[in-house]
Amino acid sequence: MEHRSSIDINTEWDIVAARQLGRNEAKSTGFGTVDQARITTAISELARTIYLYAGKGRIEIQSITVGQRVGLVIIASDEGPGIADLQKVMTDGYTTSGGLGAGMPGVKRLMDDFRIETEVGVGTTITATKWLH
Amino acid sequence: MNEVMRNSIFDNIETITTRWIERMKDHSDERFLDIMPAPVVATMSREFTELMTSNLSTKEQVDKDRLDEFTKKIIHFGWSIKFINRAIDAFSSVIYELFFENGILTDKNLREGVNIFASWINPLRESIIEEYSVKWERTDSLQKIALQELSASLIPVFEKISVMPLVGTIDTERAKLIMENLLEGVVKQRAEVVLLDITGVPVVDTMVAHHIIQAADAVRLVGSKCMLVGIRPEIAQTIVTLGINLTDFSTTSTLRRGMQKALQMTGRTIVEEE
Amino acid sequence: MKMRIPILKLKETLIVSIQVELDDQTALQFQEDLLNELHKTSARGVVIDLTPIDFIDSFIAKVLGDVIHMTSLMGAKVVITGIQPSVAITLIELGIRLENVITALDLENRLEKLTRELEA
Repeated sequence: MEHRSSIDINTEWDIVAARQLGRNEAKSTGFGTVDQARITTAISELARTIYLYAGKGRIEIQSITVGQRVGLVIIASDEGPGIADLQKVMTDGYTTSGGLGAGMPGVKRLMDDFRIETEVGVGTTITATKWLH
Repeated sequence: MNEVMRNSIFDNIETITTRWIERMKDHSDERFLDIMPAPVVATMSREFTELMTSNLSTKEQVDKDRLDEFTKKIIHFGWSIKFINRAIDAFSSVIYELFFENGILTDKNLREGVNIFASWINPLRESIIEEYSVKWERTDSLQKIALQELSASLIPVFEKISVMPLVGTIDTERAKLIMENLLEGVVKQRAEVVLLDITGVPVVDTMVAHHIIQAADAVRLVGSKCMLVGIRPEIAQTIVTLGINLTDFSTTSTLRRGMQKALQMTGRTIVEEE
Repeated sequence: MKMRIPILKLKETLIVSIQVELDDQTALQFQEDLLNELHKTSARGVVIDLTPIDFIDSFIAKVLGDVIHMTSLMGAKVVITGIQPSVAITLIELGIRLENVITALDLENRLEKLTRELEA
């Protein structure tokens, strides 16, 4: 059973909408409260990154089943400037927005699988998965 | 050719079984056959040969139920996968030997014969190994569940003071579970001080220490204090040698001293009755 | 749409219970309101209760951290109560330690202590 829903990120309010959607999806997939918080937070970070750096983009949430395992995939994609120095972005405390610099490395820690595809001038797609144990 | 080979195997099944047992006994490093009582060995061997020959008649597929039954027994007796593999090899060479003796296989038709026999035995070998690994995975996941059930409960010892004894090796998955149990327990029991007892943790490396520090940090966020107790000399040594910084939260050597400290922190003390 | 978080005063303490999911604007508005209220009432303590909040991301964490820092610059003390286990775990995993924060399990527990501390 695969289920997919998505939200376009254009305004700050869409960040709230994206994490609400994420919380509901996490709940209905059967995640416990701690994992729900992890997923919601990860979505919030990803949506905010899109809003801050690309202006607009999209968050997709998809429940997947691979063999016996059930999981939730978050795909954050934008056609923004792309990331020039991936290593820096994945370093704790690195920020260009005056934030805490916890975003990307934090999302990686919150989720089970994490993948970034980015090209300068073309855009960025981040795929993060949480598995139900 | 196919037909002749099959018939020959069925006609000589007793000889094959006996020879196969002889051959397996030669392998001195596997003592399963010695340990098991003779009748059991006989039945097992019989079943093994029958299983190995079963798809000669059905031809395409291994009898699933039979295979399942047999693998269960093998695992029960503790046969290793190496042993199984060797048994299959031994079985093959017994058959080849027999074929040569009977003149079914000659230098001329060797290639054809080998191909036919391989097409019988290979699927069998594969499905036995696969069945075996599926069983093993299932056992493994059951053991993991058992380990999870055994791990980490928070005990409310006094009002405002709770203790979590940790036993066994801590890996990332367990650390997450410990953290969740710890925090939910702290909030539910309204514990102002919580003692994390690591007396039963055999090794504290950087990874384990990292998890403990994270747990203590999270405990602080929900509004309680975490104390690390049960630090044995060798643990203290590794902590310092690895350069792990535990100065941010209090530690003591024994649970008893930790408890005294915790009582102090919550403004209480134990008084002996006159 | 702009929401405002109510700030109550009890003796020398301001009490804030955050009941709704914080969006960025509300969080920033709250920061401003609290500082103004602090200035107006010259309260010496602030208790922020987060019991109903089920997640905090790095932005909200930063706003909270800033509020705490600013409040202390104005000579008052902030105590955060009721951080949920799931919130604490996510914060730690995000790498946000909120190091200089005073925390307490619940409002009642802390209010007592704070009043005592302020009276002393």
